[in-house]
Amino acid sequence: MHKLGRGHRDKVQQFMAITGSSEKAAVQALKASDWHLEGAFDIFYSQPHIRTVTDSRHLEELYNRYKDPYVDMILVDGITLLCNDLQVDPQDIVMLVVSWHMKAATMCEFSRQEFIGGLQYLGIDTIEKFRDKLSYMRSELKDEQKFREIYNFAFGWAKEKGQKSLALDTAIGMWQLLFAERHWPLVDHWCQFLQVRHNKAISRDTWSQLLEFAKTVDLQLSNYDEEGAWPYLIDEFVEYLTENGIVQRPQN
Amino acid sequence: MGKIVDLEEGLELVQKGITKLTNILEGRAEPSFITDECMMLYTTIFNIASRNHPQDHSQLLYDKYRELLEEYLTSEALPALSEKHDEVMLLELVHRWKNYKVMVRWLTHFFFYINRYYIPRRSLTPLAEVGLNCFRQLVYQVLKDKVRDAVISLINRERDGEQVDKTLLKNVLNIFVEIGSGKTHYYETDFEAHMLRETSTYYSQKASIWIVEDSCPDYMFKAEECLKREKDRALHYLHEISEPKLLQKVEDELLSPYTNQLLENETSGCHVLIRDNKVDDLSRMCRLFYKIASGMNLISEIIKQQVTAELTVLMKQAEDAASNKKPEKKDEIGLQELVLVRSVIELNAKYLAFSNDCFQNNSPLRKPLKEVFEVFCNKGFSGNSCVELLATFCDHTLKKGATKNSSEAVEDTIEKTVKLLAYVNDKDLFAEIHRKKLARRLLFNRSAHDDYERSMLKKLEQQFGWQVTWKMEGMVTDMTLAREIQSSFEEYLKSNRQENPGTDLSVTVLTTRFWPGYKSHDFNLPSELIKCVQAFKIFYETTYRRKLTWLYSLGSCNINAKFGERTIELIVTTHQAAVLMLFNSADRLGYSEIKSQLAMTDDEVTRLLHSLSCARYKILNKEPNSQSISRTDYFEFNSEFTEAMKRIKIPPPPVDERNKVIQDVDKGREYAIDAAIVRIMKNRKVIVYQQLVVECMEHLNHVFKPDIKAIKKRIEALITREYLERDQKNPSIFRYLA
Repeated sequence: MHKLGRGHRDKVQQFMAITGSSEKAAVQALKASDWHLEGAFDIFYSQPHIRTVTDSRHLEELYNRYKDPYVDMILVDGITLLCNDLQVDPQDIVMLVVSWHMKAATMCEFSRQEFIGGLQYLGIDTIEKFRDKLSYMRSELKDEQKFREIYNFAFGWAKEKGQKSLALDTAIGMWQLLFAERHWPLVDHWCQFLQVRHNKAISRDTWSQLLEFAKTVDLQLSNYDEEGAWPYLIDEFVEYLTENGIVQRPQN
Repeated sequence: MGKIVDLEEGLELVQKGITKLTNILEGRAEPSFITDECMMLYTTIFNIASRNHPQDHSQLLYDKYRELLEEYLTSEALPALSEKHDEVMLLELVHRWKNYKVMVRWLTHFFFYINRYYIPRRSLTPLAEVGLNCFRQLVYQVLKDKVRDAVISLINRERDGEQVDKTLLKNVLNIFVEIGSGKTHYYETDFEAHMLRETSTYYSQKASIWIVEDSCPDYMFKAEECLKREKDRALHYLHEISEPKLLQKVEDELLSPYTNQLLENETSGCHVLIRDNKVDDLSRMCRLFYKIASGMNLISEIIKQQVTAELTVLMKQAEDAASNKKPEKKDEIGLQELVLVRSVIELNAKYLAFSNDCFQNNSPLRKPLKEVFEVFCNKGFSGNSCVELLATFCDHTLKKGATKNSSEAVEDTIEKTVKLLAYVNDKDLFAEIHRKKLARRLLFNRSAHDDYERSMLKKLEQQFGWQVTWKMEGMVTDMTLAREIQSSFEEYLKSNRQENPGTDLSVTVLTTRFWPGYKSHDFNLPSELIKCVQAFKIFYETTYRRKLTWLYSLGSCNINAKFGERTIELIVTTHQAAVLMLFNSADRLGYSEIKSQLAMTDDEVTRLLHSLSCARYKILNKEPNSQSISRTDYFEFNSEFTEAMKRIKIPPPPVDERNKVIQDVDKGREYAIDAAIVRIMKNRKVIVYQQLVVECMEHLNHVFKPDIKAIKKRIEALITREYLERDQKNPSIFRYLA
C-alpha cells in the first residue's frame, strides 16, 4: 500500500469498500485495468474465484427489513422501501438490472432465495454497498451482450404468472424504458402501430425478434427481407411504415 | 534352322508368291495356294529376317511389304477404277477394297515374323496399318470426291422415287469408316458434311414449293413422310451418327422456317384443326413440332386462345341468361349456372381427351389447358364462387329425379366434374360444401343412389386424398346402418306394444364425427314428441349403449291440420310443428308467450313464425298483418286457410350457412398447417425457414393453397406452444423440440 501513489491508494480503498475484496485483490484488479475503477470492477466480477464473502447475518437483516409481514417474500411495499433506501426511483431501469441479477421470476416481488442469492452473487451485504453498485449496474446496459440478456429476461419478468404472452400495455412500457437506454428511432412508431393494428398480447418470439430487428435493420428498411423468417407482426409493421410513408424504402 | 537363304533368291520367291496371290484375286486362272507354299513363303521371310542370317534385312523386308502393296494398287486397282464412273465406279471400288483387304491379310501372314519381332522392337507402324495407309493414300484420297458425289447423287435419286442399290451404298460408306480404322473422322469430313449440305439444299427447294401449294395438314403429312424416309435411309446405309444430324437438317428446312406460317394458317392452321376436331392432323402437328420450341409455344398459345374464346362465349351466354333473373333470385344458383358448369366440364373433357390422343402422358398441352381452366375455376360468376357452383352442380347431378339419364351418363358426368375440380385451389372448401349438401341429400332422402355417391367419393379420394373424403364415406355408410336400426326399432315396438308412443316415429342415428356440426339446442317439445323421444331412447340405449344427442333442427313432421271441415296434411320441420301444436291448447298467443313456452331464442322464434305466417302458406294469422315479425305481435290459427292439395310442404326458414362453412374451412386449414409443420419438423429436426415454408406448401397443395402469412402465424403459434424454437445464433433456423 505504501508503494502506491495517493490517487491509487484512494482507488484501492474505494474498490475494497464497494466490492468487499481484499487489498491484494483490489490492487490486482486495478493494476490489470490500468487503474480505471470501472474496468477493475468488470475484471473483478468476471473472475468467479475472487468471490467476496458476504456476511449472511447482514443479508438476513436486510431481507427481513423489506419482507412482507404475512408472506415470505418481498412485495410492492418492500420494494418501494428498498428503492427509497437506495435513493432510486422504482421505475428506474436499474431495478430491472437488479432483478436480472437476482433472476427474479416476476416483477414487483422477490423471493427470499432470489433476494439473498442475488445479493450474495453481487457481493453486497449492506445498503451502502448496494447503492455503490448501482452505477456499475447501469453501465452493464451499455454492453451489447448483457443488454440482450436483460432485454430477453424482461419479457418473462414483466408478464403475468401463468400467461404465455405479455400484455400489450406492459410491453409498450417496457419497450419505452429499454429503448431509452439503447436508442431505437422507430420505437414510438412500433408502439403506435401495435395499438392501432394489433391490440393484443405480445408473444415471446415477437419480443425477442424485435431486438434483432432494431439492431440489424436500417432505418430505410433497405436490408429488410420480407421473405425472411421475421415474425408476421414485424412484417406488418414494415408494411405499416411503408404504407403510411413513414419510411421510403429504396426500390431495387 | 534351314539353309541360309540368299537375299535375292528369297525376294524372288516372295515376288512369285505375290504374283500368284494377285492372279487369284484378279480372277485369273491360277490354282489356289496349298499349305506348303504358304509355309514356304513364311519361312523364306523368316530366314531373311532372322538373327541367324549374317545380315539383318528386316528393314528391307519392311519396306518391301509396302512396295508390294503399292505396286498392287497402282498396277491393278487404280487403272480399273479410274476409267469408271458413277454407280459402276462404286461397284468397282467395293470390289477392289474387298480384294485389297484379302491381299493385306495374306501378306501380313507371310510377313508375320517381321510383324511379331522387328516392328515392336523399332516401334514401327504395324503391317495392317501400313496396308490401310497405302490404300488411303493411293486410292482413297484420289477418288474420295468422285465417290462422294456419286453416292450423294444416288441418294437424291432415291429421294425422287427411284430404287437404288442400298447394299452398295452401305458398303461404300463402310469404306469411309474403315479407312479411319473404325473412327468416323474421314466419314464425317469427306462424306457426311457434304451430304448434309446437299440434304439441306434438296429440302429447302421442296419446302418452298410445297408451302405455296399445300394446305397445312397436307404439308405436314409430306414433312412427316420425308422424316420417315430419311430415318429409313439412315438405318439402311448411313452410319448411325448421321441419323440425328440428318433429321435435324430436314426439320431445319421443312419445319422451323415455316412454323408460324403453318400453324397460323387462316384456312387450315392450328385453330381451324381444333375447331373442326381433326385429331389426326393435330396429333401430327404435335409430333412434328414437339422438338421445336417456338412451335410448341405457338401451339400452346393458339390452344389457350381457342379454349379461352370458347369459355368466354359460354360465360357470356350464361351471363345474359342470368341478367333476366328476378332480383330476389339474383344470388341463387339457377338453371343457367348449371348449364354453364355442364358446358365447362364438357369443354375441359374434350380438350383433355385431345391432349391425351396427341401425347398420352406428359402432354405439353396440359399446362396451357390448366392455365385457362384454373382462371375460370378460381374466380366467381355472378355473385357465386366457382366452388359453390361446382358443388351445386354435383348436388344436382346426384339428386333423385334431377336426371333421368342412364347410369353411364351419370358416371360420365361425375368423372368429368372431378377432372375439372383438379383446377380448383380451395379444394377443402369444395369438399366441405359438398359434405353439407351430401348430408341434406342423405337425411332428406333426396339422393339418387348410394352407388353414385360412392363413385363420386372414390374419384374425389383419388384426386384429393382420403383425408378429404373419409368422413363422407362414413356418412353414406351411416345411412345404411340407420335404416337397420330403424327396422329393429319397428320390430321392437311390435313386440312391446306398451312402449309405442302413439305416433309414428322414424329415427336416423348418425355417427357424430362423420357429419357436419349441427347445433342442437334443447327446447320444449310438445308432449307427443317427448313420448316418441323417450320410447326410442329406451330402445336404443339398452341395445347399443351409446349416448344420443337429438338434432331437432333436422327433423320433419307430418301433421294433420283441420281447417274447418277440411283436413290437410302439413309437412313441416319439428320446430314448426312445436309452434303449431301450441295452438291446440290456445286460440291466440303472443310472441313472448310462444317464445317462453318453447324456450327458444328470439332469432329462432322470429324465423319460425315468419315461415308460418308471412310466407307462401299462411297457417297462422298475424296481428298486425305486416311482413315482419315483432315482439308485440299476436298469432292465431288460420282456420280459413284453403289449399287445393291435400298435402303441402311448408318451407322451413332459410338458413345461410355460407359464413359458417368458410369459418369451418379456415379452422380446418389452421389444423392442417399445424400438422404439416409438426410432421416436417419431426422429420427434419432442424430446418431453414424458407425450406419449411416450401415443404409445407408441398404437403398441402393437393387440398388448398396455403397463404404464406398463415403459415408464418402457425409457426409462431407453435413456437409459443413450444413445439419448435428458433436457433440461438441464426433466427432463420428452427429446431424441433421433442
